[in-house]
Amino acid sequence: MNKWKLIFILGFMTALISITPAFAHGAKIEYRINMSIEITASYDSGEPMAEAQVIIYAPNDLSNPWKTGTTDSEGRYSFIPDPLIPGTWDIQVRQAGHGDIIHIPVGEAINTSQSAGFSPFQTILMGVCVIWGFIGTALFFSRRKS
Amino acid sequence: MHIPDGILPITVSIAGYALTSGATWYSLKKINAQENPQESIPKAALLTAAFFVASWIHIPIPPTSVHLVLNGLLGVLLGYYAFPAILIGLFFQAVMFQHGGLTSLGVNAAMMGLPALFAYWIFQFRTKLNLTDSHFWTATFGFLGGAFGLGLAVLLSFTILVTTIPGNIDIATERTSITILTMAHIPLIILEGFLTSLVVVFLQRVKPDLLP
Repeated sequence: MNKWKLIFILGFMTALISITPAFAHGAKIEYRINMSIEITASYDSGEPMAEAQVIIYAPNDLSNPWKTGTTDSEGRYSFIPDPLIPGTWDIQVRQAGHGDIIHIPVGEAINTSQSAGFSPFQTILMGVCVIWGFIGTALFFSRRKS
Repeated sequence: MHIPDGILPITVSIAGYALTSGATWYSLKKINAQENPQESIPKAALLTAAFFVASWIHIPIPPTSVHLVLNGLLGVLLGYYAFPAILIGLFFQAVMFQHGGLTSLGVNAAMMGLPALFAYWIFQFRTKLNLTDSHFWTATFGFLGGAFGLGLAVLLSFTILVTTIPGNIDIATERTSITILTMAHIPLIILEGFLTSLVVVFLQRVKPDLLP
């Protein structure tokens, strides 16, 4: 009886010793990527959309806002989308009847940044082309009748 | 001033397009009834260019900033050409620079174009009352046309925006920011009134036949 008890205890101790190092030296790192999305909203004059309302729609429910918030004085707002809802997240920014909506894909293919709009050079070039169209129209209709 | 896509409910957008179609049809009919409908096209094209560029000129009025609209000026100088001119200008602003939008084009055109016609009718009092030779009255009616044209547009914009705030955002905050933006247009209304007045007096001195 004592012999069996001893073996049991020894066996238990052995088991404990073999496990203990794992508790003592093993390190465990868990990771979870909390991808946060930061948006910056500004008017086309370059002025930030400060204190504008932000409405976020998750891909699985486009009729009810997932979250709402307000941009800071620089027009910035950041949030962490739920990684369990992959798809295109819609973020609407609105102030005084002005605003826009941006579609950010979250999931397998991720664009790290995206901005809508043209460079100033493109804008000016396009503007000049349109203006030349108007001037051309004016010149055409004011040509001398032959 | 330019309402972008995605702000207005679809019914308002459709109503805007309906109103714009009607006003365009009416304007074109009036233009066609003129002796030489092509005569004013160069003037209309150049003022469309001015209207197109005007929205780039931002005037800071704390806490926000506004840009020139010039719909009153177009109305005063172009008469019935003003509505198609504004429609075309807005179309190019929307497709090139996303200033405004294609779904809201009808609403924007009606909002700025109908007051332009109103501005024209105000300025026509000058002719009806036989005051065309007076610089003072030309300046006065020019100011009234320019100021009322923009003022009415701002009022329409305020009404449309305030009555269509969607339920998913904070209504009180949005209403406050719409009111602030509307208030910021009051100095612009006076400014555009003076601008219109300067332009009509200048034209009266150098080329009076350009005035309707």
